[in-house]
Order: sequence, then structure tokens, then C-alpha cells
Amino acid sequence: MKGKPKNAVYRPGRSKLATRGLLMALALVMLVPVAVTFLYSFFSPDEIKAFMETRGSYDAEKWMDVKLSPQMFSLTQYYEILIRDTSILRMFVNSAFYTVMILLGQAAVIPMMAYGLSRFRFRGRDALFFAIIMLMLLPFQVTMVPNVLTLRAIGLLNTVWAVIMPMWFAPFYIFLIRQYMLGLPNELLEAAQVDGAGTIRCYGHIVLPVCRPIIGAAVALSFADCWNLVEQPMTYLSQRMELQPLSVMFNQLASASTGIEFAGAAIYMLPALFIYLYFLKDILAGVQLTELK
Amino acid sequence: MFTKKKSVWLFLLPGALGLMLFYIVPFFGGIWYSLTDGSYKNAFVGLDNYVNIWKNPMYLLGLKNTMLLSLICAPLVWLLSFGIASLLNRLRPGGAFFRNSVLLPYLMPSSAMLLIWLVAFDYGGVINRLWTALGLGRVMWLQGAELRVPIILMFVWKNLGFAVIIFMAALQAIPEPLYDFARLEGAGFLRQTFGITLPMIVPTAFLVIILEWINAFKIFKEVYFIGGAYPDESVYTLQNYMNNMYGKLNYQNVTTAAYSFALIVFALFGALFLTQRQLLKRLS
Repeated sequence: MKGKPKNAVYRPGRSKLATRGLLMALALVMLVPVAVTFLYSFFSPDEIKAFMETRGSYDAEKWMDVKLSPQMFSLTQYYEILIRDTSILRMFVNSAFYTVMILLGQAAVIPMMAYGLSRFRFRGRDALFFAIIMLMLLPFQVTMVPNVLTLRAIGLLNTVWAVIMPMWFAPFYIFLIRQYMLGLPNELLEAAQVDGAGTIRCYGHIVLPVCRPIIGAAVALSFADCWNLVEQPMTYLSQRMELQPLSVMFNQLASASTGIEFAGAAIYMLPALFIYLYFLKDILAGVQLTELK
Repeated sequence: MFTKKKSVWLFLLPGALGLMLFYIVPFFGGIWYSLTDGSYKNAFVGLDNYVNIWKNPMYLLGLKNTMLLSLICAPLVWLLSFGIASLLNRLRPGGAFFRNSVLLPYLMPSSAMLLIWLVAFDYGGVINRLWTALGLGRVMWLQGAELRVPIILMFVWKNLGFAVIIFMAALQAIPEPLYDFARLEGAGFLRQTFGITLPMIVPTAFLVIILEWINAFKIFKEVYFIGGAYPDESVYTLQNYMNNMYGKLNYQNVTTAAYSFALIVFALFGALFLTQRQLLKRLS
């Protein structure tokens, strides 16, 4: 038995080295684009501008440089964005505003709904859950239609609420948290009931605290959506350029280089990086403990 | 489980009202739009809009490209993530660094990553350097039909990690004695994969393919960033069509296109769901 490579599943052995090598290459592919974006944000604007202008040349003799270190380490890009011309910062604030408003609304609506759907028996429960599943399966091209019809009817198109309000009821997160709550042991809630706690006390004092991993995971995943909003602001706020989040405006930064676009990208990635680091454990635990079937 | 408590509506009311207001009621209300002609009198035209949309070349182009991209992306992410999760599973309890770095791109905004992709896929960029190192000619990745390749790779790069951790969770839940027993019987790696691993994770495998398919239908951001509202016809997605029709305030076209697509999506996922049921029945 010993040393047969075909028995290597779960067994330490030589083939682990090959596995590690393969995964290392993969990790590099995943990390290098992020790392290089941060690296380029410390180049001087002139150097970046010159570098970006070598793009789009179809001269078969010429290559773009592979720049790995700046001629001079510089914080000028950050200075330009944060202090001199704050128009990028303004869009960053828009992004932050949408994200905070969406997450606050979701926090108020979604765990409560998941609790109602998972720990109660009532008429219409299956129909409601079926509707949520169906909505979850529909891509944005389809759900934008009902959203637009309502937003137009109540006069919210071209206001910030057009982007914010439909996201409060995102079906995927209702599904995700409900599946997790289904797996909670009944004894937990029964013990509380014996002690005289009502449904509301149960929710606030028991269910929410034990759902910490999945709620953390949902916050992180939803943050990723909010920070990446493109379609919604583009369509619902098409007449309000000043309300656009930074995620929509990047292609304009990229098309004509101003030399500060990499610091813009780095600043935009920073909050996402913090969220990733802070909620990483929750994402892993939340997905692992959820009955995703 | 609480039974017949009236207080449940306290918990459900905000969410249920919102879903009704923004999704369910207008979804059915919108069907009316798709059956009228949108003129001043707004006459009822039956299924004319549906007949017309299936003759509309731009809609068909968008539909074709969206279906094609998702048919490549979803199975690709599915296969790769299963492979990577299996590899990571062999390193347990180690391998946290690899797992974490695969998940990182999921949180990174596409817009901010755009710059580095534009540099890498440029005609004189790193990808073409590698390409020529392999002895192949340089390719204009950012134009024409070749743009599909970066679009697909960006999708895979971003979405791989989440699928990997879902697969890993399922793989870890398989009881180890099953493998020990199989090894005693002399089953090799492939026999173990097809005899134990795959049958045990059928529900997860279906979940991942559905989640990735939903995500792949949404592919639009990168196309729009690189190609604008009217990109090359090989990457013109359904979302491009929807946005352009919406921009022209053509609600008849928007609703008809959306509902036609919804029918296709439901048919597709319905078929997947039935396949899963059949498969589970056969396995048990």
C-alpha cells in the first residue's frame, strides 16, 4: 500500500509537491494583477502617462515595457486624487454612499425575512420561497424591467433611490441566510422558548448572534456587488452624471491616460481589500455550514 | 420551528412588500407592455411584439453572444473550480494561502482591474509576449472576435474563487472512511473520484453550475468598458441591447426581450433541475 501514488488522495506523499507547484502558479495569476495595480500607483504620473501611451501600437517591432519598478517612488498620483483635483474622490464618495445605504437596508430586511421563512410555518410560505428562488435565477437583463416599471411609476428614476431600493430585497441573500438558519438546531430555540423568550427576543438574542458567519459572508458578497455596480447606475441614472459611482467612470479614466488612474484604482480596491481580509473567515465558515442544496 | 405564530408577518412584511413592489407585481404588470404597441393609443397587439423580437437581428445577436459566452464560461469555471478544490483538498489541513488567494479576485471591482487587463492584453503587452514565447503570432486581443478571450478569462479570474470554496465545503463533508474502504478494495484516484466524490457532491455541483450560469448571463461590464455601448458584433451582449433600447425609451422592446429571455432561462434551469433529480434517483 505504502508509496503508491495512485493512493495519494488525502495521503501525504511526493505528489503533494506537484500539487503545491500547480497551486502556486495559480495563486500568482490571481494575485499579480492586484499587486501590479498597487505597484503602478506609486509611479510618477509622467511615467505612467508615457507608459500608457505606448498602448495600442500595432507596430510588430515594438513591445510595451514590462515595468516592475518605478524610476522614482512617488506619491504624486495620490496627491493629485486626494488633494489637488477631487473629482475622482467625489465619485468614490458616491460609491461609498450607495454601498452603505444598500447594506443598511439589506441588514434591516434580509435576515428578518430569512428568519421568517426558515423558523415558522405559515400559509403561503412555499409560494413565497418559490418566488424568491425564481427571482434569484433571473439575470439582471430580466429583473431590470420590473424594477424600472416601479421606479418610473413612483417617480424615483434618476434619483439615488433607484439604485439603492431594489437592492434591499436581493433574493440571493435571502436564500443564502435562510439555508443557514434551516440548519440551526431546534433545541437552541426551544430552550429559549421554555425560558419565556418570544419570537423577537429569539431573533435578536439567539438567531442573529449564531448566524454571524453567514451574515458576515453575505455582507462581504453584497459589498462586492455594490462596489461593482455598473448596469444599474448606467441605466437608472442615465441623466445624472454627477451621481455616478466610480465603478462606472473607470473606462473614461482608462481611455485617455491622465497618469493618475492607477492610484484611482488602488484607492478603489482598498476598501474591497479590507472587507476581504475582515470577512474572510466568515465567508469560509458561512459557506461551509450552509445547506447549499 | 414556530407554528402559526402571527408575529411571523412582522418579520416578513418589509421584505415581502419590497419584493412585491419592485419585482413580483411589476413583473406581471410588465407583461401588458409586451402585448401593446406603445403608440399614443397603446393598442393591444397580442403576440406581435414577440414575433417581431425573434426577427430583430440585434436582439438575436445579443442573445446569441450572451448564450455563447455563458455556455463557455459557466462550464469552464465549474470544471476548473472542481479541479482546484480537489487539489486543495489534498493539502488539507494546509493550503490556506492558496485557497485565500483564489478567493481574492471575487471581491475586486471589475472597473479597477480594467487598467491592468488593458495593459496585459495590449498588442505589445505581456500576454502577447508569452504568446510569442510559445512560438505563436501576436494577436489583437482587444478587438474583434478575439475580445471574447479576455472577456472569458476575466470572468474566470473573478469567479473561480467562490466556486472553489463551495466545492471545498462539499468535499470536506464526505466521510473519510469511504475513501479508506475504497483504497482497501484497490480503487485508484480516478475510481475514487468517479465512484465516491462525484456522486457525493451532485447537489453542490448543480448549485455551482447554476450560480455560475447566473453570473455568466450578467457578463457585460468588461464588454462595455472595452467596447462601449456598441462593441464589435462578436461580443455585443443582450445587456447592450437592453440598455440601448432602454435609452431609446422603447419599453415594448425592453419588456418583450426580457420576457423572451426569462422563458429561455427558466427552460434551461428547469432542464438542469430535472437532470439533477434523475441523476440523484439513479445514484440512490
